[in-house]
Amino acid sequence: MSSLADINGVGLGLKRELTPQIQKRYLDPSIANINFVEIAPENWIGAGGKAQKDLAWFVERYPIACHGLCLSLGGIDPLNTDFLKQVKSFLSANAIPLYTEHLSYCTDFYHGKSGYLYDLLPIPFTEEAVKYVAGRIRQTQDILEQKIAIENASFYAAAPISSLSEIDFLNAVLQEADCWLHLDINNIYVNSVNFAKPHQNPAKIASNFLQQIPKERIVYSHIAGHYQESAHLLIDTHGKDVIDPVWDLLAEAYQLFGVFPTLLERDSNIPPLPILMQEVNKIATYQADYTAKVANKMAAAC
Amino acid sequence: MLEKPLFDFQLYQAQFSAHIRNPTHNKKPPNVNSNRMAVYKKAVFNNIVESVSVCFPVCQAVIGKRAWQQLMREFVATYASSSPIFREIPQQFLLFLQPVARVPTYFKQLAHYEWVELAITLQQTEQVQLSEEMDLLNEKPTFAAAHMLLEYDYPVQQISAKFKPTQTQETNLLVFRDAEFQVKFIELNPITYRLLQIIKAQDLTGEQALMQIAHEIQQPDTAAIVEFGLSILTDLADKQAIIGSHA
Repeated sequence: MSSLADINGVGLGLKRELTPQIQKRYLDPSIANINFVEIAPENWIGAGGKAQKDLAWFVERYPIACHGLCLSLGGIDPLNTDFLKQVKSFLSANAIPLYTEHLSYCTDFYHGKSGYLYDLLPIPFTEEAVKYVAGRIRQTQDILEQKIAIENASFYAAAPISSLSEIDFLNAVLQEADCWLHLDINNIYVNSVNFAKPHQNPAKIASNFLQQIPKERIVYSHIAGHYQESAHLLIDTHGKDVIDPVWDLLAEAYQLFGVFPTLLERDSNIPPLPILMQEVNKIATYQADYTAKVANKMAAAC
Repeated sequence: MLEKPLFDFQLYQAQFSAHIRNPTHNKKPPNVNSNRMAVYKKAVFNNIVESVSVCFPVCQAVIGKRAWQQLMREFVATYASSSPIFREIPQQFLLFLQPVARVPTYFKQLAHYEWVELAITLQQTEQVQLSEEMDLLNEKPTFAAAHMLLEYDYPVQQISAKFKPTQTQETNLLVFRDAEFQVKFIELNPITYRLLQIIKAQDLTGEQALMQIAHEIQQPDTAAIVEFGLSILTDLADKQAIIGSHA
C-alpha cells in the first residue's frame, strides 16, 4: 500500500515497451534510481490479460502515480463522471495515491454528444475559463474524495481572446480550485520558445514563469524531450533526449523550491532501458547535488 | 444540451475543435495563426488514425490506402467518440462504420473480426473453479476465460486484398486467449458451433449438450453422437480453448 509520501525521488513513465525490461532488472542496482512509476489510467482501466498481470506486478513493487490524459478538465461538454468513478475504483483497487490531469481539454460537444479527440487542446486564458475549469476540478476532487494535481500544458496556438497570461491563468485556477500542481518543466520551456516575441530570450521567459510558481502546490514534476519543428516551434513529443536548457530549468527549480519528486517522460522513440536510465540517473544527480549544497550551506552556517 | 449559454472561451473551443475535425467545412477561430492551428489538425488526425489503423491491417489492404484515408477523414470529421479509453478507439471506429452505406457488409464483418483480437487480448476475466480431473461428459466443459463464439456471413479469416468474397458463406469461429496470453482462432463446423453455443448458454454437461444436439439433428444413434462429440471437446481441450470442467 503506497501513500503520497512514497511518490518521491525520481520516477519513470511506464510504457509497454519498458515493462519487461524493468521486470527483468528488478532489484538490479542499475535501475535503483527508479523510485516510482507513472501510468495513464486511460491505458490500464478495464484491461485484462497480460496488461492486468503486469499492472499487478508493478503495484506490488513500485509506488504508482496516475497521470490522466482524457478527463478534459476544460471541455465544453459535461464532465465525464462515469469515467471519474472508474478512475476512483481503479485508484483504490491498485492503492494508487495520486491522480493528476492536464490543464487542457480533449473533448467537444458534437451534434449534442461528447466527442473525444484524444489530444491535449488549449483552453483560452480568460477569467470565465478560470472559474469554469476550477469548478470542474473541484467537482473531480469531490467525486474522488481526494485532491488532484493539474499539469501546466504545452500548447502551440495562442487564443486571441485570452485576457490573462499563461502563468496568471495557471495560478488563478490553482487558487480557485485549491488543487496541487504537477509541474512540467519541459512544457514551460516549450511554451517559452513557441510564444517568445522576436526580441525575447526564451530561457528568460521560462525562468520568469518558473519564479511565479507557487512552491507549496508542487506535488511532483515532469521532465522530457521535445521535437524542434523550427527555431520558433517546439512540439512536446516526449520522443527525444532532454535538452540542456530544460536541465538548467530543473536545476533552477530545485534552487527556487527545494527538491521535489521528478519523473522522466518518454513516450515515443523509446531507447532501451539502460540508455533511458542515463537520464533517470541524471535527475537523481541533480537532486543529490542540490541536497549536498544545502547540507554544505548548513554546515558552514553552524 | 449544455446547461448554460456558451461563454466566449467555449465558443472559441467549439470552433477550434470543429476546425480540427473538418478543416474544409469549418473555419478556424478568427485571428488564430494558421501554421499553429495546423499542428493540432495534424496531431489529432494522425493520433486517431494510428490508434485505429494498428487494429485493422487487413481492412486497409482490402480497400486500399486512399479509401482508408478517406474513411479516417470521415471518422474524425463526423463521429463523436464516446470513450476516454485509448484502446477503445478501434471499437468506436466499428460503431462509426456500421451505418456507412458505401462499405460492403463483408468489410464491416472483417473489421469486427480484426477488432476481436484486440478485444480478447485485453478482455478482463473471472476465474472459474475447475474440478481436479477434467470430465468433459459428466461435467460442464469450461472455456478459456477470455473467449468469444462468433458467427459471420463471410469467411472473414480468408479475406485479403486478393480475396474479396462475392457470396455469403456461414462462418463460425471460436476465439480465445491461451495461458501465455496468445489469441487463437479456431474455425468451427456448424454442429460444433451449435454444441459450444449450447454449452455456453445453457450451462449443461457435455453429455447433456450432446444429447440435445442429437435431438436437434434427429440422430437416433446418440451413443455415436456422444463419442464423436467427446472427441471434438477433447481436441478443443488439447488446443487450450477448453481448459477443464466444473460441476
